[in-house]
Amino acid sequence: MKLGMKEKKIVFSTVLTVITIAACLIILIPLMIVVLGSFKNSAEAQAFALSLPTEWHFDNYSHVLVKGKIGQAFRNSMIITASVTAIVVIAGSLSAFVTSRKETRYTKFVYYLFLIGMVAPIQIVTTYALLQLLNLSGTFVGVILVETALQMPWTIFTMSGFIKNVPRELDEASFIDGATPVRTFFSVIFPLLKPIVATVIVTTAMGAWNEFMVPLYFFNSSSKWTMPLTVYNFFGQYSSDWNYVFADLVLTALPITILYLLCQKYVVAGATAGAVKG
Amino acid sequence: MNKKKFYPNYFTFPAVILFIIFYCIPIIAGFFMSFTDWHIKRLLTPKFVGFKNFIRLFGDEHFILALKNTVLFALSTTIGIVILGLLLALLLNSAVKGKAFFRTVFYLPAVLSLIVIGIMFKAVFKMDGGILNNILTVLGLQSLTNDWLGNPKTAMFCIIFVQIWKWSGFAMAIYLAGLQGISADYYEAATIDGATALQKFRNITLPLLMPAFTVVITMNTIGGFKVFEQVYVMTNGGPGFSTQVLSTYIYSEFSKGSLGRSSAMSLLLFLMISTIAVILNTALRKREVEM
Repeated sequence: MKLGMKEKKIVFSTVLTVITIAACLIILIPLMIVVLGSFKNSAEAQAFALSLPTEWHFDNYSHVLVKGKIGQAFRNSMIITASVTAIVVIAGSLSAFVTSRKETRYTKFVYYLFLIGMVAPIQIVTTYALLQLLNLSGTFVGVILVETALQMPWTIFTMSGFIKNVPRELDEASFIDGATPVRTFFSVIFPLLKPIVATVIVTTAMGAWNEFMVPLYFFNSSSKWTMPLTVYNFFGQYSSDWNYVFADLVLTALPITILYLLCQKYVVAGATAGAVKG
Repeated sequence: MNKKKFYPNYFTFPAVILFIIFYCIPIIAGFFMSFTDWHIKRLLTPKFVGFKNFIRLFGDEHFILALKNTVLFALSTTIGIVILGLLLALLLNSAVKGKAFFRTVFYLPAVLSLIVIGIMFKAVFKMDGGILNNILTVLGLQSLTNDWLGNPKTAMFCIIFVQIWKWSGFAMAIYLAGLQGISADYYEAATIDGATALQKFRNITLPLLMPAFTVVITMNTIGGFKVFEQVYVMTNGGPGFSTQVLSTYIYSEFSKGSLGRSSAMSLLLFLMISTIAVILNTALRKREVEM
């Protein structure tokens, strides 16, 4: 049988759709097993089946909230995420504003400084010693400052790329009106940065929420543990109770997933910010 | 316009000072500490020992294995992500229906914590009743079931798979941005000239996607060398040392208190990543064409 042009097209697009759905399932099946398993009893969850629970155990969540110390971990993660994001956005946009508006030896130095940060891995051992020396070891302040430094380079490059397209005439008009640089930045420029600030906020918040290595090295007291550290530790203790482990995983991933679904546009913009014009 | 007055350098100070203190100083200090016998019990009195740490490392078979594993991981995950990401992007750039939904799903793993993903994949690769073994059994491939993470021959591949699973959607987003930037005129002109779909792909799509390739390759290679969480969660370097990578080995030396040796390894990792980033960037940028 010979296929006509139209039939060929239909076959082709069906094949593509089937492949796309298959790829989709590879991502969704494990996630669905986790979500469904979080409502099952222990024996049922351990079967890792893609089936609805015979009986919905919402109590898995209350169990995990108490035993997994999720309340405290949630609070710790919020403190760190909010602080890192706030500092990164303000310090990053201030710096990007100046370095993208003029070119001097100093701004070139700043450019190369942050370029190193885009590539180089964190030297965590000496950072640990530094925090000890500064008496910041095991404190929120120490972890917040280290994570802020870690997130700064990307923020500055992303922001600079955006600010370069904000017309310079706007700041010049404001200066002619007699406004100070601080006033000009906060009342004229910063409001125009909304889209890129949104991108930086969601990207930084996700990075800080998911960060594992820094709190792992720097918090030895479990009272300061963040969500990923707590879930890791919980898994170590309850590795046979998959229903609880799954509930804990859902609780850890939920805030980020919601943020992603609500702000998808900004999340993807963050990913591609460096891609279109490297 | 007086730039000095209106764009004051002090605007940059909070970011620059924070970054220098908490990022650059540790890098510089790490360089010096690599040449000492620094130990957690003698935090303030390290002694200079020359190249001893480095000589010991290169005589340490576990370090060599961690080095090999790291290179294998970075290389194979980058290849996997570069190809799969491109396939996903091409699928979503074609006539498939429900693009927005698929894009949301494909990108989802990129935002999830590696700890969450790592624990989830422990359930996938578990020996007894694990998801993968269940699927194989259902398909009648019982002979292929395996203790995936407990077997030194397969554990590394599982960790590689997890990285590809997590980051292919991210690469897809970068390619999609690149694909959307290619003007339809090129394809129309090629169609008029009688070019086949494959020719169009090779002569239009691929060259104009080079900037996206540069970003995807560079980012994933660097990220691959830094791999830590999924190994730490899924195997902690085991069974034996079969999945040990540099970052987990650095952490285990750190936990033992050998800060000098840990710093020496960090320095080597730093040098490797910086060199590779520079080489990759110059090599790939050359191949980019102006639109």
